Amino acid sequence: MEELNSIDEIIQKIKTALITASSSYREDQIRAFNRSITNEKLPRAKLILESLLENADIAKARKSPLCDDTGIPHIFIELGKTKALTGEILDAIREGVALGLRELPGRPMAILGSDVERLEQSGGIDEDPSSVNLAPIIIKMIEEDIIRVHILMQGGGPEIRGRTHRVFHKHSLEVILEEVISWAKEEAENLGCTPCVPAIGIGRTHFEATSLMIEAMIRGNLDKQSKLEEQITNSINESQVGALGLKGDTTALGTFLNVGPQRASGVRIVSLRLCCCVEPRVASVLL
Amino acid sequence: MKELRSPISKEDIQNLHPGDQVFLSGNIFTGRDAVLPKLVDLIKMDKLEEIKVDLDGSVIFHTAVSPAGVGPTSSNKLDIESSIPILSQAGVRLHLGKGKLKKETINALNIENSAYATLPPVTALLESKIIRREVVAFSEEGMEAMNRLFVERIPIIIVAVNGITIEDIVEKEKREE
Repeated sequence: MEELNSIDEIIQKIKTALITASSSYREDQIRAFNRSITNEKLPRAKLILESLLENADIAKARKSPLCDDTGIPHIFIELGKTKALTGEILDAIREGVALGLRELPGRPMAILGSDVERLEQSGGIDEDPSSVNLAPIIIKMIEEDIIRVHILMQGGGPEIRGRTHRVFHKHSLEVILEEVISWAKEEAENLGCTPCVPAIGIGRTHFEATSLMIEAMIRGNLDKQSKLEEQITNSINESQVGALGLKGDTTALGTFLNVGPQRASGVRIVSLRLCCCVEPRVASVLL
Repeated sequence: MKELRSPISKEDIQNLHPGDQVFLSGNIFTGRDAVLPKLVDLIKMDKLEEIKVDLDGSVIFHTAVSPAGVGPTSSNKLDIESSIPILSQAGVRLHLGKGKLKKETINALNIENSAYATLPPVTALLESKIIRREVVAFSEEGMEAMNRLFVERIPIIIVAVNGITIEDIVEKEKREE
């Protein structure tokens, strides 16, 4: 059995992964932007896409945030059969995230106070970026005998435009697709930070659909799109919402779809999140 | 690219068109969900002098200001979009943010000779164009406090001005095809 990293090494690896996720596009994202720049007919839209790539170059070189909304850290862990995930390791992941947020720096946006004060945002804001707590961790068993940790940084705009909702499928894929595409078009128009990448999870419960959507953001690849993903992307692009909602051919760079187990029922639960033009911000490390 | 420097006059606004790409320079204020309703309340109570902020010809950028940088937030959030008509009436000539605004907000901008512009969330790129920054009001709101930024040639795109939006122009072009 292979030895895991020491706790200190885990902290450092997680810190570095958080900074990488927050300050750089993945290679498939860069290629997708370049394809869109080539295909885009509207000069204004072309310029916006080019400025997003220029921003990414600067952010990567400086290891500084792509966007000032550095997001809420989400952790997804893949766990092999003989590996043990201890409380100590989870605490090291939490500490690595906190260190990463301090060094990036992340945006200080942890709201202080009681339930009511936090809801009303009346109790003040913690000035320490590392006070932004992790979202609940998702753990998934895998065949590979490893522990792989994925870090996602989830911005607020896409959360405003996200939906988890039921679809009565009528035993027809087309019904589900039509509904999802209609939501995506409506939300893309209001998102502002297009081109988007719709991340979609379809499962049996709201929790399952959302975790499938998170997994879609981790596994999705803009170079390798399924026929269904292409169909969704093309339909959204027909809306001509365009980059920044200012019209043009590029409303979506691609789609990340993850279909999970389904219930014997007339209903499907769909979680849709329109990742904005700096997302998905994700990086992965092996412990 | 056109050049625009704050304070912005009504004549400056009349010379803008939806889709114009503009370099914006000078002092600009920041504000979003937390402070814009407070600013509106001060205007309504005629107490704006309490915070020593001159809105005449000003720009309001819908952003937080934090060590992570600046970048547009959604202007169609309730607390932000609802502030646009009264802030325009109080002299704000340019609202800078992102996302689609309601038709009634576009109409209110037109009545007050104000405009709405957007820019991509290019935080790393913007950092080199912000020369100075200082908190001017509502410091208790932390990253959401009202700041004054002195910026040099921020690239923005005019979305709505003089009652016309980019969408209107595209629709018109489609009809003429």
